[in-house]
Amino acid sequence: MTEEQRQADLIKLQDAIYIDKVRRARTLTPEERLADVFELTNGVLERMLDGVMWQKKIDDIDEAKLVLSHQIQRLRLVRDYERPKLTGLHS
Amino acid sequence: MKVETLAGEVVKACVAENVDYMIASAFAYGMYGIPRSTKDVDIVLSVKGENVILRVIERLSGQVEFGDQVQFDTLTWGKRHVGKVIGNPQLQVELFELFDDPFVLAQFERKVLLYSPQVGAEIWAPTAEDVLVQKLRWGRAKDLDDARDIIAIQEIKNLEMDYVHHWCGIHKSEERLREAINRIPKDL
Repeated sequence: MTEEQRQADLIKLQDAIYIDKVRRARTLTPEERLADVFELTNGVLERMLDGVMWQKKIDDIDEAKLVLSHQIQRLRLVRDYERPKLTGLHS
Repeated sequence: MKVETLAGEVVKACVAENVDYMIASAFAYGMYGIPRSTKDVDIVLSVKGENVILRVIERLSGQVEFGDQVQFDTLTWGKRHVGKVIGNPQLQVELFELFDDPFVLAQFERKVLLYSPQVGAEIWAPTAEDVLVQKLRWGRAKDLDDARDIIAIQEIKNLEMDYVHHWCGIHKSEERLREAINRIPKDL
């Protein structure tokens, strides 16, 4: 298999995954999609907290929350680093 | 504290203080795109009235601790007040002051009400078209992916495209709109 074929197969796979996500989202109402945002957020934060407690060998949940808070703050700084290329602000 | 509980507390504070608001960022995108997690409860507030922000901050004071400094986020929503959730510092509330920009004001004016059983209340949110125009205007890689997702999920036939084209014309983001549409797989 050539590199071009591998790339083409990868794009096909990515498209198939994306199409599945879009088709699922289309079956939901805005209210249901918002409910998914809540559920995903709670799940992700819980897993991140478990990860911090495991990685840093922390038993105290409040201490783990502070460490996680610090890590998330760093993520926010990275996110904010890519400033929007805003157009038309003064139009 | 679960994120929907936090969102509910912020919404309740706005309602109690009679402040016009709408949810923003990941919540607004998630309503019309592919839902994803977030670390922030972002709300845009109208600052018509006296000490609007201070009153909302004061009402939230038992649950959220806001810093003294106001952050300026002129590229997004203007002034931003950031608060950490007491007991859950990994969660953050960001209150954005509505600022005097024609599109931002139009977006706020067109906001829609929906009921969230998780929040246990009706909440104001931007329309799909407005989230799309905003994403195209901001134009970061993530925003352009989000714009493509909104178009893919809502479908052009269901969107008020005249409105979208109007603002994209003003914002000079038509090329970004075309690219977002072109990036949607043909099978959809």
